[in-house]
Amino acid sequence: MRIMKRLTVLFVMMALIITACSNDNNKSNSTSDAGKNNAAAETDGNKDTGDSKSSGKMTDVGTPRSETLIVDILGGRSPDPDRYNPYVPGAVAMDAGVHQLMFSNLWEIDTQKGTQIPDLAATFPEPLDGTNTKFKFKIQEGLSWSDGQPFTAHDVEFTAKMIADTKELGYNGYFTNLVKSMKATDDYTIEVETVNPETRLAQKLGVVIWGNTFRVMPKHIWEKEDPATFKFSNPIGVGPYKLKDRDPQGNWFLWEKREDWQKSDIGKLVGEPGPKYILFKFFGPEEKRIIAMIQHDMDILQDITPESWDVLRQKNEYAKAWYNDFPYATMDDPCERGMSFNTAKEPYNNPDVRWALALMTDIKNVSMATFGGMLRVSPIQLPPIKVLQDNYHKPMLGWLKDFALEDGYKPFDDSYAAGIVDMLKQQGVEGLPTDQSAISDTFGVGWWKFDPAEAAKLLEKNGFKKDGDKWLLPNGKPWTMTINAPANFEVQSMRLAFAVADSWRKQGIEVNVQQMEGASFWDSESTGAFEIGSYWPACGLLPDTTANMTGWHKQYIVPIGEQAPGNRNRWANDRVSTLLDELDGLPSDDPKVIQNITEINKEFVKGMPFIPMFGTSKFVPVDTYYWDGFQTSENAFEGPWWWWSQFKFYTPHLKPTGR
Amino acid sequence: MGFYKFLLSRVLSFVLVVFIGITTVFFVPRFMPSDPVEAMIGKMTANQAFMEPEAIVTLRETLNESFGLEGSMWDQYWGFVKRVIITQDFGPSLASYPNPVNELIVKALPWTMGLLLISTIIAWLIGNVVGLLAGFLKDKSYSKAMEAISIMIYPIPYYILALILIMLLTYIYPIFPLSATFQGEGFSWEHIKSIVYNSILPALSMILVGTGWWVISMKTLSSGIAEEDYVHFARLKGLSERKIMTKYVLPNAALPQVTMLALQIGTIFNGALITEILFGYPGIGTLIYTGILQADYNLIMGTITLSIIAVAAATFIVDFLYPFIDPRVRYK
Repeated sequence: MRIMKRLTVLFVMMALIITACSNDNNKSNSTSDAGKNNAAAETDGNKDTGDSKSSGKMTDVGTPRSETLIVDILGGRSPDPDRYNPYVPGAVAMDAGVHQLMFSNLWEIDTQKGTQIPDLAATFPEPLDGTNTKFKFKIQEGLSWSDGQPFTAHDVEFTAKMIADTKELGYNGYFTNLVKSMKATDDYTIEVETVNPETRLAQKLGVVIWGNTFRVMPKHIWEKEDPATFKFSNPIGVGPYKLKDRDPQGNWFLWEKREDWQKSDIGKLVGEPGPKYILFKFFGPEEKRIIAMIQHDMDILQDITPESWDVLRQKNEYAKAWYNDFPYATMDDPCERGMSFNTAKEPYNNPDVRWALALMTDIKNVSMATFGGMLRVSPIQLPPIKVLQDNYHKPMLGWLKDFALEDGYKPFDDSYAAGIVDMLKQQGVEGLPTDQSAISDTFGVGWWKFDPAEAAKLLEKNGFKKDGDKWLLPNGKPWTMTINAPANFEVQSMRLAFAVADSWRKQGIEVNVQQMEGASFWDSESTGAFEIGSYWPACGLLPDTTANMTGWHKQYIVPIGEQAPGNRNRWANDRVSTLLDELDGLPSDDPKVIQNITEINKEFVKGMPFIPMFGTSKFVPVDTYYWDGFQTSENAFEGPWWWWSQFKFYTPHLKPTGR
Repeated sequence: MGFYKFLLSRVLSFVLVVFIGITTVFFVPRFMPSDPVEAMIGKMTANQAFMEPEAIVTLRETLNESFGLEGSMWDQYWGFVKRVIITQDFGPSLASYPNPVNELIVKALPWTMGLLLISTIIAWLIGNVVGLLAGFLKDKSYSKAMEAISIMIYPIPYYILALILIMLLTYIYPIFPLSATFQGEGFSWEHIKSIVYNSILPALSMILVGTGWWVISMKTLSSGIAEEDYVHFARLKGLSERKIMTKYVLPNAALPQVTMLALQIGTIFNGALITEILFGYPGIGTLIYTGILQADYNLIMGTITLSIIAVAAATFIVDFLYPFIDPRVRYK
């Protein structure tokens, strides 16, 4: 037994030594290029020694809790926490605070107004001649990098040249197809020459949704490095925060407000950020993330399920979602969910079949089964967010009501919102909107009728037959189909697939749901290895959604088995392609843009290559125990897009509660 | 002569197992319905950062070239075999490009070894002691109680057990941290203390699950051996029950348990996938998970090859050492 004891002690010691030494190695590897620049990031692990330390609660990274905002990392752990070069694939995830707090874009987006706003650039590109290939824009004056060096147009010019000259960077191809040259004519003026005539340069080099790949790098650091291999371990930016510390395992990143925050983009454009520290931390599976917020160890949560929200609001009285009452979630996410068809495969190459499936969808029950009715419907190819509802969904109502199938049948049902409210009331849901326009704004302008009889007419017209309860294909075989769905990510799309499958199964189709991990899921869509997929090929935020629709041009259709650059539904529509060609030559603010996009939407309704169903409902709650001033439906200075680069614009609104 | 023949056959079998293993590990990920380049493009376009179709074509070409995924599968295979055999290089991780897979494994391995080695050995020790008592002294009330507890815990799915522990010890009684945060660095007391503190909960979950199996197997073995003639003979000779248990039953019952322990230590190199993900532990399991999710061929190949070599080596060592442990076995 004595030997056993000794052996046990020896093993424990060995294991500890191995683990501890490993960490030492990590540190020494990770700082290999640390000495190469005078970055402001202090990664020495020094902890705050302020007065509050002795009196208040501390975070587990050693900062006063009352001065630290803790944010969930949507993308999880970063395998290499020392690589901040945003132009190589293995860098720290941008949503670990990197693009939210440190890096900045030339133009950002105001999602409430649906417009782009200046960030590092002070003006929008101004054409220099009538060719739409030469532009000029101004850079903000008085900004500096977080190491104190001034930020100028020369940094922008350098970044452009670096990307163009480095073929190893994934972004090189895109950029060189777009930009011929970018020159600083003085410290604050940039002149751009594009490869082809461009009408949407700010959209292509600035933020439209989430972020943009064109991130300006500091010339005084990067000019001495090889951009393809430089790790940028001590990163700097023009944003209001600098990296203070990081977890060698990549689970957390601690950001500290710049002492010279006035010289950051946010300092100049909005004001002083509230939190002294912002800790981006990955807690693990959803159960742990919820516990963290219940314990007030997390202030901002990303993307949880409605069930988790139910638990959270019962256990934490300080937790807040976008709405105070039902439906709680924000519904202004810029992508909509539905069923996407591979129109190169039979029988889904037939629009009647696609329409029959739309009419077989019991949308109210699908909404209940997916997210307990907390969803907004959309009948068109654009997400039902406020800006787009005002520009498309509502103006198109008349046309939608009059729209008829070939046999004269009018499929639109504008009573969906009232119907779902009744259904929810019967289930005892309280706090529902009562005003007619509020009901419609919350649950959508309407959707297609649930009409299996009309669906049967369409199918029978095309040779389908019913054998008892089951539908048979025109060749007499049972109609079976598989819906591709995400496995344990993008929960709404995953659940939607099961709910729709159930609805169609009840109508006599044998439906399987194939759950797939990320790589397989995307690969199947791209190569056309799917019949129907719970994908979301309909996004947009600005009234001009040309950028999001370009991929539907018929020129991008490739045979099944080949990787599609766009048009993954392989749906060829001449009119859509012509309208897209026209849009390409129109400036974004031309009134004809909305007209053309409206016409494109009509074609989508007729052809139905994708059955749009719901906007995306995001449960992204906050805990108001330590911090307040978060945006909500009642304080909607912006949407709750915590994983987007515009996060930095929210920080001046956040105030400590004093707890 | 018998020894050398035995050794040669075992070495050949080791080499063959490893060769077949790494060949399989090369081809299987390539037959998956996924592609690392598409995964990366999918992720980029899912975020809706604006990207034109032409740009996607160019990006795809660039990534294929960077990741070394050009050329036929056969060319890639020979390149892989040569790299692995000559330089033991698995190339860059595609999910964490351009970090070499070897570097990622070297970083993750000590964490996995530290956690799994300790928990496997503790579970083995506790399980065998309890199993021995339960098998040899089966009428004692404490033996019955310990056996009952172990058997109750054993069938609980690991994920559920781990979540129960998290709820119990981080939420209801917040004794342990909800997520691992390692303080300090290097071989400092602060760092070691932090590692131990953050590792107790994941280790406890593994010990609880691991112990049950050892209890059941040891109980079966020891209760069988306790009925053997030589044990009856020892009792008739007047030896104490304690001596019979430790000198007659334990050595014989422990033999297959030692073999299993050696094999289980070999599988440590697989990592503890669910544990590492649930507890945010940065080991090999997390790497394998990342590799599969992102179709990172090189990372999958690197981690699985390591596991194949470890299991084959453990089998080889057990085969080689067994005659020393059990005098009834000879090299043949």
